[in-house]
Amino acid sequence: MATETARPKRGRHRSPSGPAWVPYLYLLPHAVLFLVFIVYPIGFGLWVSLHRWNILSDVQRFVGLDFYLRLVTPGSPQFTFFWKTMGNTALFTVLSVPALIFSALGLALLLEKPIAGRSVFRAIFFLPTILAVSVMGLLWRWMFENRTGLVNILLDLVPFTQQFPFLTNVGWAWIPIVVGTIWWTVGFNMILYGAALAAIPRVYYEAAAIDGAGAWARFRHITWPQLNPVTLFALVTTTIGSFQLFGQSHVITAGGPLRTTQSVMMYITEEAFTNFQFSSAAAMSVLFGLLLLLVTGVQFRLTLRDLGRGVR
Amino acid sequence: MIVRSTVNRARPTIPFADGDAADTGPSVVGRRAGPPRWLLLAPRFLTLVVLALLFLLPIYWMVSTSLKSEAATVAQPVQWWPHEPTLENYRTILESPNAPFLRWAWNSLFSSSAFALGSVVLAVLTAYPLSRMRFRGRDTWFWVILSSMMIPGVIFLIPHYLMMIRFDWIDTYHALIWPGLPAAFGVFLMRQFFVSIPREIEEAARLDGANSLQILVRILLPFLTAPMATLALFQFMASWNNYVWPLFVVHGDMQTLPVAITSFSSRYWTAYGKLMAGTAIASIPILIAFLFAQRYFIRGMSLTGLKDE
Repeated sequence: MATETARPKRGRHRSPSGPAWVPYLYLLPHAVLFLVFIVYPIGFGLWVSLHRWNILSDVQRFVGLDFYLRLVTPGSPQFTFFWKTMGNTALFTVLSVPALIFSALGLALLLEKPIAGRSVFRAIFFLPTILAVSVMGLLWRWMFENRTGLVNILLDLVPFTQQFPFLTNVGWAWIPIVVGTIWWTVGFNMILYGAALAAIPRVYYEAAAIDGAGAWARFRHITWPQLNPVTLFALVTTTIGSFQLFGQSHVITAGGPLRTTQSVMMYITEEAFTNFQFSSAAAMSVLFGLLLLLVTGVQFRLTLRDLGRGVR
Repeated sequence: MIVRSTVNRARPTIPFADGDAADTGPSVVGRRAGPPRWLLLAPRFLTLVVLALLFLLPIYWMVSTSLKSEAATVAQPVQWWPHEPTLENYRTILESPNAPFLRWAWNSLFSSSAFALGSVVLAVLTAYPLSRMRFRGRDTWFWVILSSMMIPGVIFLIPHYLMMIRFDWIDTYHALIWPGLPAAFGVFLMRQFFVSIPREIEEAARLDGANSLQILVRILLPFLTAPMATLALFQFMASWNNYVWPLFVVHGDMQTLPVAITSFSSRYWTAYGKLMAGTAIASIPILIAFLFAQRYFIRGMSLTGLKDE
């Protein structure tokens, strides 16, 4: 870290930054907010999960690991719904992540070489990412609306296909959510891949061309391996994003039909803000957070590797 | 990611853009003989056109639906464009007493601006000593801040909410602004840029007796206007588009626009003319901003990588 400056010499402070307390003064505003809104809530959340939080009471009863035990005891409603929605979320991740990686790579490859209107195309593919999830959700709910949605109108017009009630059909309700999500977020990974493609040294391709390598061979042996770090980064960040599914399901299907598209984030908020079971929800947050931490740990290491590489 | 993209930006990101790429690009093979370049590119161009139209279709359909009467939105056969375009839906929802769109828009605008401004100020003040001063505990503190980036947001949801109740901040702008401010991301980003400014630049000022604040404001900040603008734009968008948190901490008149259009949607569940008018109101300002500043949006994104909410 911080290789750009020499390590401070203890006991002898240099005057350039003024009195010794000056740096701390700059750090103070952020540090106060950091303690109040990041450090404290972590402890407070754990504390809440170990008590039975009653919003109307001043004294909260200690219950130990009760709320965690429920989550691993088959039979309790919390167990049933937590793991059911966890499964839903995992299914969404499996459905969406590969699509978000490969379609992003496809778009980036289409835009790799100069072509008329390239920047316009890039802007169009990126455009949906700036929309709020509610906007995106309402658009795609309308697109997939049973009978009157544009998708069903088109299915009606195309021979050999017929209308289908996507939004209210178990399993099929994922299609509007996944399609909407791809439309909404593929632009991020496309930009990542675009930057990475541009950074591949041209000489590799020239050498391959001299060796007579075809398009597929060039992709397989140059492009794809060179993109490895970006693919890994995109894979990790997209997985984290997909696991936190909330808005798309909330707006497009409201978690239905029969909770089959309810994500774990939706269930946690339901437990907290509809059932007012804050302690139970806090315990779920901690458990779910720990699972996410396994993935963010990878991301963190990748970021640090970049950091170490880039800083002089 | 951040660093790598910065490096990419320093050299031309798109080598040979719009020039004669065939000289050095992968298409060097087959250059000598074979069909002309435009014919080779035609399939790719057509693919891109089709995909672009598909991407724009939902947005076209939103605008088109919003300009139809409710009867026309479900008319058989389908009206590919509004046969009798009308602004009736917009008028209805803007005049509706229980859908204060302008108030919601103001809530979003104010809280997102305050959040963006606060993030930039905090990031600059914090990154400055962490990158350009020497003091005890500096590296440790940077690591503490950096480590907080790893913590999944879901961990904070319940404790933050209960804190908002205790602070009596439910249904206030405070709830929308303060809890997210100390996030490490801005500090991390600004520090990268502080580090990239050569140290010699401030030496002269220091010899003239300038203090650290003067050095920051007069010498360093002019180098940082672009990253600060990028960070501000990014944080503004993040706050504007935030969904889970505002959904639960602000209600009624205090809602942010993107959240409000969904609660508004439960009233007009299938009245898609009005729903799409509301959606258009919520998204068109952002779409227009994107039209003019798409370069900055895209640059900001490649600068930051995918920031998960």
